Amino acid sequence: MSIGLDSYLVVAGLVFVIGFFGVLLRRNTLIVLMGLELMLNGCNIALVAFSRYHATPANPMMEGNLFVFFIITVAAAEVAVGLAIIVQLFRLRQTVMLNELQLLKD
Amino acid sequence: MNPETLLFCILFLPLGAALVIACFGRRHGSFSAAVSVGSSFAQMALSLWLLWGIWDESALQPQAQWLVFGDVRFHMGFLLNNTAALLLFVVSFVGFWIHLFSIGYTRGDPGRGRFFGGMSIFMFAMMGLVLADNLFMMFIFWELVGFSSYMLIAHYFERPAAAAAANKAFIVNRVGDFGFLIGIIWCYLHFGTVDLAELEVLAAANPEMLLTPISLLLISGVLGKSAQVPLHVWLPDAMEGPTPVSALIHAATMVAAGVYLLGRIYFMYTETALTAIIVIGTVTAIYSAICAFGVSDIKKILAYSTLSQLGFLVAAFGMGTRFGLYEQELEGARLFGVGAANFHLTTHAFFKALLFLGAGSILHACHHQQDIFKLGGLWRRMPLTFLFFTIAVLAIAGIPPLAGFHSKDAILFLAYEESQVVFYVLVLTTLLTAWYMGRLYFVTFFGKPRTEEAEGARESSWVMWLPLGVLAVYSVLGGFMFVYPPGLHFLIDQSVMHPVGGDYTLMLVISVACGGLGLALGYLVYFRMGAESDVVGRRLPGFHGFLRSRLFIDEIYGFYVRAIQQRVAEFLAFLDQILISGLLVRGSAGIAAILGVVARGSFTGSLHGYVYWLLAGMLLFSLYAFGIFG
Amino acid sequence: MIAPAVNFAPLTGILQWQQGLHVAVPWLNGALLLASILFPLVAGFALLLAGPKPGRALGVVAGVAFLIPALFAVWLWSTYAGFRGEGEYLFRTDISTGLDAFGISLKLGLNGISAPLFLMAGIVGLAAGLFAIQSGMERMHAYLGLLLIMLSGLLGLFASIDLFFFYFFHEFALIPTFIMIGIWGGRGRKAAAMEMTIYLTLGALLSLTGLIAVYVQSGLNSFDMITLREHLAVIPLATAVQQYAFGLLLFGFGILVSLWPFHTWAPRGYAAAPASAAMLHAGVLKKFGLYGLVQVAVPLLPDGALSWSPVLIYLALGNVLIIGFVTLAQRDLKRMIGYSSVMHMGYIFLGIVSLSTVGIGAAVFLMFAHGLSIALLFLLSASIENRTGTTDLFCMGGLARQTPVLAGFFVAAVFAAIGLPGFANFWGELAVFIAVFEFEKWLGVLVILGIIISAVYGLRAVAQIFYGEASDALAGHVAKAGAPSDLKGAERAPALLLLLALMFSGFLPGTIADSINRSVEATYRPVQVSLSGGSSMPAASQIRRMTATSPGFPWESLEVRDHHTAGLWLPPDQTDGGLFAMNGPDRTNNP
Repeated sequence: MSIGLDSYLVVAGLVFVIGFFGVLLRRNTLIVLMGLELMLNGCNIALVAFSRYHATPANPMMEGNLFVFFIITVAAAEVAVGLAIIVQLFRLRQTVMLNELQLLKD
Repeated sequence: MNPETLLFCILFLPLGAALVIACFGRRHGSFSAAVSVGSSFAQMALSLWLLWGIWDESALQPQAQWLVFGDVRFHMGFLLNNTAALLLFVVSFVGFWIHLFSIGYTRGDPGRGRFFGGMSIFMFAMMGLVLADNLFMMFIFWELVGFSSYMLIAHYFERPAAAAAANKAFIVNRVGDFGFLIGIIWCYLHFGTVDLAELEVLAAANPEMLLTPISLLLISGVLGKSAQVPLHVWLPDAMEGPTPVSALIHAATMVAAGVYLLGRIYFMYTETALTAIIVIGTVTAIYSAICAFGVSDIKKILAYSTLSQLGFLVAAFGMGTRFGLYEQELEGARLFGVGAANFHLTTHAFFKALLFLGAGSILHACHHQQDIFKLGGLWRRMPLTFLFFTIAVLAIAGIPPLAGFHSKDAILFLAYEESQVVFYVLVLTTLLTAWYMGRLYFVTFFGKPRTEEAEGARESSWVMWLPLGVLAVYSVLGGFMFVYPPGLHFLIDQSVMHPVGGDYTLMLVISVACGGLGLALGYLVYFRMGAESDVVGRRLPGFHGFLRSRLFIDEIYGFYVRAIQQRVAEFLAFLDQILISGLLVRGSAGIAAILGVVARGSFTGSLHGYVYWLLAGMLLFSLYAFGIFG
Repeated sequence: MIAPAVNFAPLTGILQWQQGLHVAVPWLNGALLLASILFPLVAGFALLLAGPKPGRALGVVAGVAFLIPALFAVWLWSTYAGFRGEGEYLFRTDISTGLDAFGISLKLGLNGISAPLFLMAGIVGLAAGLFAIQSGMERMHAYLGLLLIMLSGLLGLFASIDLFFFYFFHEFALIPTFIMIGIWGGRGRKAAAMEMTIYLTLGALLSLTGLIAVYVQSGLNSFDMITLREHLAVIPLATAVQQYAFGLLLFGFGILVSLWPFHTWAPRGYAAAPASAAMLHAGVLKKFGLYGLVQVAVPLLPDGALSWSPVLIYLALGNVLIIGFVTLAQRDLKRMIGYSSVMHMGYIFLGIVSLSTVGIGAAVFLMFAHGLSIALLFLLSASIENRTGTTDLFCMGGLARQTPVLAGFFVAAVFAAIGLPGFANFWGELAVFIAVFEFEKWLGVLVILGIIISAVYGLRAVAQIFYGEASDALAGHVAKAGAPSDLKGAERAPALLLLLALMFSGFLPGTIADSINRSVEATYRPVQVSLSGGSSMPAASQIRRMTATSPGFPWESLEVRDHHTAGLWLPPDQTDGGLFAMNGPDRTNNP
């Protein structure tokens, strides 16, 4: 059995869903942030796989890879900012649990 | 100097004076007085020069286009014909002497600059009204005389009564002008012009073009300005102004402008409209004569007398014109109404201005004690005023050969020829006129002074009695043509239907009988039976109350303003606030706010809550993408 | 003979020189037009950025910045009026803004309708500026800066030929108004600013939608008013399209002009606004909607105008009668003035709805006059409020004794507003009445009722403020704050400026109306021809189609008169040339 596009997509979907449920169910902001990262990386896997499997000699299809580079860069920046915010939050409120941080109301 | 230039100067001199006073004269009363009286003198001199020396009695109409909007053109111009010439003479002549009198009357008044500024604006506006050659221009100056009248009535603005009287005068006049303006606009659209000369040609050539509604609407302006029933209520109140203002504006000139307008467009009236004019004038004449018995304020008595005489003028115009235009198709008879009304207008201007100035002289000497029953015995203290006042009283009572006799005679004769009912009413009015003038005259001048104010009265200075003297001369000689410039004779002599032969004797007898009987009644009833208070008020309080009530017309208007107009206004304001501003505008804002409250419920603040919303949105979107919703 | 008495020879000379300059240096006046918009803009931002500055420097700089556009406006208007062409656009400039793909570029120019309004904007701007400079507001630099930016927008909107910039300049002037009301306003300023913001934005949005509808439906890819007008005169839009586009414009503009029943923002907003902002908004900015109707909506969408006119008649009648009565019931001076301004908008709407050259010309003239008179009233009401500490009419009285000059100005302003001859408003109202009466008799009668209503509330206010005895409330205020002083010189100057402008155009209305008449003729003759092509047109059927000659400047006509020499007897139809030409030899008979 050769490893085809489907296998990659299944892995990507699994990673995405794991990340999504992490975001949905966990209360710890750090883990929610990790869940977000997992979702992004799930997308990345799918993009690279599409890029690889749809390429032809005439059209090497680098767009998917390009997308991924962008996402990695943005995700890195996002993590940097997000972690900094979490650190500040912890300093202010002595907690990073989401159920105790409901400031968006009003 | 050509006549156009002269007219131009006559019109604009007082405006220049008013501007100078407005800019520099507010704090300098004497300076303002000098400027205003100077301009008035120049105006009189130029008018007399024009009428005696330059004008050749041919109609003169210089004109310029002033404003164009599309097809509508407004012109400005002068139309100097016989009617205008007469008023030019009366206004500038009487105007100057009243200006001179005002110098003495306003001495020490802090508002002197304002007073003379207002007088000059009035002279400008009145001249414009007299000279205007079309109805739009006439309306412009019509409004401006109303404005200057407003300013001058409100001269003693600290007195609430004066402020209220000024507002009443302007607003009642606006009611009349409302109809007048509609009439002018309708006339413009109907005839295609408002030029007086063109209208005359059109109306003569196409009598079927005349419309009764237009005629009646044009009369509506006269009702306001000449204070005819039912818009007469402002004139007695207007006596709150200084006495020279009452003499100039509210007796001699401005209130006569309505009659002047009637004569200026005498060809515009249908027979129905002329009948309406006769009825209005007659009712005003008798009604006001009765009202004059109910008041004891010297100026208000004179005001009701003015109203009554204006009613005479209006009725005379109506009768003469109906006679000349629709019953007696004679070329010479066309102007019978205009002639009779304008002749009496002229003599009335002289003796009524004299009466008012005499009253002003008395008030000035008696510290503004206006109640005739608190005066008395003034003949010894103010001999000159007494003499001139006597002349005026005899003139208004119609005793020959004074001015009032000739002109009133002509009106009574017209009525005699035209309508029995009107004739009897006017004769009765003549009797009443002499009666209430006798009441005023004997109570004021004879007997003993009844208050300290009357006790301390002294004759006024020459600037005050000299104008009285001049006006007295004209009140005596006003019936004879040699005192007038030759250009005026056509209108006030040849166009007047004078009685001859037996009719003359009849009129003479009626006039003398009415005048003599009236004066005698005034003496017997009001003086001999005790002049310390109104005898009717003592003996017949119920009847006196009826006289004082003036048929409750003021009260009806007051009721309308307070209970109807103001209520409606407040109701509409309430609706405006509650319905439009509250319910619709604020209400829609309220709906948005309610939606906001509902939507805010979904913002729990929990991140997981938002993720579920995200999930729901994605689900909906994918369902749509898969075509579940069709 | 007469002529020398009123022949302003120096003025004629200046006018001729001005015309010569206009021909010799074609770019000059276009540059001046652009400069008069840019100058206050730059000065305004400079003042905003400069920060608070002590002393008189601020006032002097701002004064110059207000004065220069006013002078340019006078110059441009008199050049236009002296040009006496066929009502076309002059002083045109076209500056690319990088939006050429959408058919948008900064096209400026004036025609006979916009030139007097541009002049009015300049004069009211100067008066509002002078009044603001002496007002002693906090954070004066920001206040003056915002006023200047607003003025720039006002001048820009009248000078725009491009519809996009027409709208853009309006918003540009509107935003500073909100800020000024919100920061410097009186009692209830937050709510008033909020209500006005939302309401007027809604109106602006509707009118923008309408403008875009015209833009898209015309298919010209151009916002150029002249191109659109020329194109749509030949190929008009379908009637259904005209109807909905005109409806959008009508209600959009109607909200901005406080058409009944969309008027409630006006009295509340003006009562809360600082004086200068109220002067500029009520006097000038509010005319945007009317100007848009006259210059854009009706000429471009005549069929739409005709089918909406039955609705507009009743709404405008609501403005005159219902709001007239509502004004009677007001006891707050500023609200009363606000309502009276709403009432007078009804006259202007009715002038426009008559769709005759008389009515539309008169409407534009009345816009000019009303802008000056309402600005004067707001200025004086602020002066009164400063002296009495209140705007409640029942808490005043007897003020004329202490402040005779203020009383004189206020009486003049009130009489101007209620249409006394001698002030500009009279001519506008008179001609509107004629147009409306010609259009529908009953409508004319109802509208003319307005002259009584406005006299009642105007004179009542004068009496309550200035006549009689001081009320207890005023006496209490005087005991606390000292006796009120009369109008200061710095307050007199702007009031006098407005009053003189009103009287000038009241005495010589031809100077203002001439250019209006030319442009209205040029714009609306084709419209009327296209309208009379169909049937069921009450307005168009009654319009007489005579070509009118213009009255022009009196001093010009007098100069002509010199050539004719005195005593030349001209037939009546040739007397247009002279002030004192004789009128027909056949009138020698006496009545």
